[in-house]
Amino acid sequence: MVAIIDYGMGNVASVQKALNFLKIECVITNDHRSIKNAECIILPGVGSFMRGMMNLKERGLDTLLTEEVIVKKKKFLGICLGMQLLIENGTEPLDSKGLGWIKGTVKKFDVPGLRVPHMGWNDITIVKDTFYKGIGDLDFYFIHSYHMVPQNKSVIAATVNYGGEVVASIQQENIFATQFHPEKSQVAGLTVLRSFFEQNA
Amino acid sequence: MLKIRIIPILTFNGFGLVKTKNFANPRMVGNPVQAARVYNSRGVDELVFLDIFASEQKRKINLKLVADVIKECYMPVAIGGGIKTIEDINSLLKIGADKVVIKTKIIEEPEFINEASGVFGAQCITVAIDVIKNNEQYYVFNKLNKEILLIDFLKQLPSHRFGEIVLTSVNCDGMMNGFDIDLVKLVEKNISVPIVVAGGGGEPKHFEELFSQTQVEAVGATSIFHFTQYTPHDLKNAIASVGKPVRILKNSVHSK
Repeated sequence: MVAIIDYGMGNVASVQKALNFLKIECVITNDHRSIKNAECIILPGVGSFMRGMMNLKERGLDTLLTEEVIVKKKKFLGICLGMQLLIENGTEPLDSKGLGWIKGTVKKFDVPGLRVPHMGWNDITIVKDTFYKGIGDLDFYFIHSYHMVPQNKSVIAATVNYGGEVVASIQQENIFATQFHPEKSQVAGLTVLRSFFEQNA
Repeated sequence: MLKIRIIPILTFNGFGLVKTKNFANPRMVGNPVQAARVYNSRGVDELVFLDIFASEQKRKINLKLVADVIKECYMPVAIGGGIKTIEDINSLLKIGADKVVIKTKIIEEPEFINEASGVFGAQCITVAIDVIKNNEQYYVFNKLNKEILLIDFLKQLPSHRFGEIVLTSVNCDGMMNGFDIDLVKLVEKNISVPIVVAGGGGEPKHFEELFSQTQVEAVGATSIFHFTQYTPHDLKNAIASVGKPVRILKNSVHSK
């Protein structure tokens, strides 16, 4: 069973729809017992970093997720804000602490001549292909104004170019995360999700 | 490289899909769920679904129908029509909308933009601006009997947080005679978020004109898909011919 974390930060229904399509059993939940019992955790989310952390804390999910993912090494997938929240320090809209699983920070796009948010389909450059084998198309759907800047570049699984190379995906032990929305990226996105779950079955 | 988005805009009257000309004379053009299914199978970049009479008829959008439309889509979907409250937005996001499109409420109460983006994030708030040209002046089209110069409306927008604009020319709507390029140039100068241009695309050369003469990255279209044989793929080839990047799919598309 996959637990899709419900913490009041946006479109969890689409993640569930994509998993249903792939015939992967999942539940949208913030119940601690269900999360502990799940074999895999997905943290989706859109919106601001500060509010995302606040919502996790209010539900006691920050410590629970750290226990499950960092201590117990449970398989974890972060999407969009759910990737950014893994970092130590956020800046959106003010400086605030993240989950701190990945060292580094997030930065607002400063790209003269380009529009912000970075919104739409953009092609990624794959650095670690564990979950990117056989995807065919390289275009994924992005929608974000901030991007992750990890201290240790070896966590980067893919990058994307928008006024310079920025992080599109990270991978560290049992943790995999994407800045883009695989659940909104048609065939390529579903292929990444399938690949992640098949390799973690 | 970020690709140009081609976005079918489905306009709905509460019963079925309709297509207007100059925002009038709605003509029935089909079933929204079937249309969404077809666009999904063609792998379109994104979809916009608007209930264009909800505000005027003082009713809420049909959530059940919207949910059925969204179920067909494995790409981003923006939904609009009759949005007045934070709860209205929440109801749409909960059933899988990625963005909401707001027009009338923003004209009545511009502060609602920040209220909404404060709760849901700027990225999911899309501002719709319908523009009508009278005596060589651009005005914000509305059914509230307000006379608002477009330039005044644009100047006050940057103090609000939102993710995108859907810009529609009322004069060009449904006419299939080409986009109002001067209007697009005026708006892109004054706005820093992505702009979806709609109204007027009737054949591929109109899309070539738009993308060779402006820097916008997205275009909405309706009539061309309902009334001609052209597909989103044909338009992508046209846009690629003027040197702009588009997403051409190698994969076949998943279908249920």
